[in-house]
Amino acid sequence: MNRATIAILVAVVLLPFVVRPVIAAEIWLFAIFGLGLNLLLGYTGLLSFGQGTFFGSAAYVAGWLLKHYAINVFFALGIGIGVGALSALLVGYLCVQRSGLYFIMLTFALNQLFFFIAYQWTSVTGGEDGMPGVPRPALLGIDFKDPLAYYIFVAALFLISLWIMKRIVESPLGRILQAIRENEVRAEAVGYNVARFKLLAFVIGGAFSGLAGVLYAMLFGIVPLEAIGFVSSGNVVFATLIGGSGSLYGPIIGSFVFIWLSESMSVIWTRWPLLLGVAFVIVVLFFRGGVVEAWSRFFAWRFSKQKA
Amino acid sequence: MALLETKSLSKSFGALAAVKDVSLGIAAGSLHSIIGPNGAGKTTLFNLLTGTFPPTSGRIFLDQKDITGTPANRIAHLGLARSFQRTNVFPAFSLLENVWVAAFACGSSWQGLLWRRTDRYPQATERARTALSDVGLLPKAHVAAREISHGEQRQLELAIALAAAPRVLLLDEPAAGLSPEETRRMVALVRALKGRYTIVLIEHKMDIIMSVSDRVSVMHFGALIAEGTPAEIQRDPEVRRAYLGGIAA
Repeated sequence: MNRATIAILVAVVLLPFVVRPVIAAEIWLFAIFGLGLNLLLGYTGLLSFGQGTFFGSAAYVAGWLLKHYAINVFFALGIGIGVGALSALLVGYLCVQRSGLYFIMLTFALNQLFFFIAYQWTSVTGGEDGMPGVPRPALLGIDFKDPLAYYIFVAALFLISLWIMKRIVESPLGRILQAIRENEVRAEAVGYNVARFKLLAFVIGGAFSGLAGVLYAMLFGIVPLEAIGFVSSGNVVFATLIGGSGSLYGPIIGSFVFIWLSESMSVIWTRWPLLLGVAFVIVVLFFRGGVVEAWSRFFAWRFSKQKA
Repeated sequence: MALLETKSLSKSFGALAAVKDVSLGIAAGSLHSIIGPNGAGKTTLFNLLTGTFPPTSGRIFLDQKDITGTPANRIAHLGLARSFQRTNVFPAFSLLENVWVAAFACGSSWQGLLWRRTDRYPQATERARTALSDVGLLPKAHVAAREISHGEQRQLELAIALAAAPRVLLLDEPAAGLSPEETRRMVALVRALKGRYTIVLIEHKMDIIMSVSDRVSVMHFGALIAEGTPAEIQRDPEVRRAYLGGIAA
């Protein structure tokens, strides 16, 4: 086991004692969302500004089924992952045809499309009021209404997601996606169908987003309209960049910083997003690799001082 | 017998005819050079051969099989690999990773694509190491591509093409921007590859062309104006007028 794994396991155990279990659960589910985005952003070099589409669609569909048909939790997760992947297949197929700024605008525009569908379709989504009443059914006799039990469930799913993502980025697929990020023309020339691989990254990212979306709906018992909007898409990009998109662990740290800041500061100070803005400016100006880079630079600096 | 063949290949960009009615046959096992002044359409011809874009008209055959219009990402799998005129590598990757990506692409199987660790593909790794050692870069296998010199990047460029284990190697000015010393090394390298692969070489430096080629084709304003052995080409009056001018005289 490497040091990062141990640190994460320790964090998983300690977190519910440091912050409320609900917040702790939100941190890990948001980290799952970030892991999915980072396969696109960090590994493939695609800035998707529409991850909320997959997160929100999954939350609505699975939430609706949970609410009206009282489906099993595992089934709900499966549905969420499926809806996330499927919506990503649809959106991704259209987006990978373009690159650069056009790509970003397309992900954003399609996100807006999904947002307005959710906004208008009030009979299902509740429109602006959101879709309340999503239950958190018991699973195998464990009552998930107990926040700590649900926290353990979310944390376990996060660990599984992290393990899967680690395998993916260390597989040939991970290397091919990075090759596309490094040099798309050459990747095509050595024999990879770049558009197909980008689409695959979308679908995998969408599946992770979908899982996060369902966990979110069950955590708060409601699917707010923002879940499918650009707020959600923007937040996950934000958090991932703050944490550091260059590393597998960046989005996890980003999620921690983002959720912790927003939950603890929003109670004290209504203008708290200002803090996020400052954090973001610092990252963009000085630490393009986010917290992960700041951290490693700090240690390199300390090490060099010790030597001297 | 021609391994790679074009029949009346043409490509126009709007009013500009970049490649005009080129019929070319590359014999298996030979080293066939394509020369011509800047803008003669040599790189465009390579782009047509490797499927970067489809020809306006004409056909391309590999081993008697029509491959016209095959997209770029399929071409490598057919056994046609190219190096680029402007260095075109994966900067953040180590040299081994650069070459591994090409070796894996054309490897026998993509099994475990999403799951197996990249170091569990002994065949691809072996092929990548061989390609690096062929160009003399094996000692730097774990250095990042962005950290090596321009000359070494040109060698890496070649290694990426070799890693695909191609039948035909298309080399677009492998010695572009090299110092005399580095050029000598590159020429030795190309000569060492001769015979192992069928090679199509675009080059500007006359001494290289004349010393390594079996056949030479001359392009001028998109059209082929002459073809022959290096000695024949040097004597050809039309070639001298169009291109060689005072250089070879």
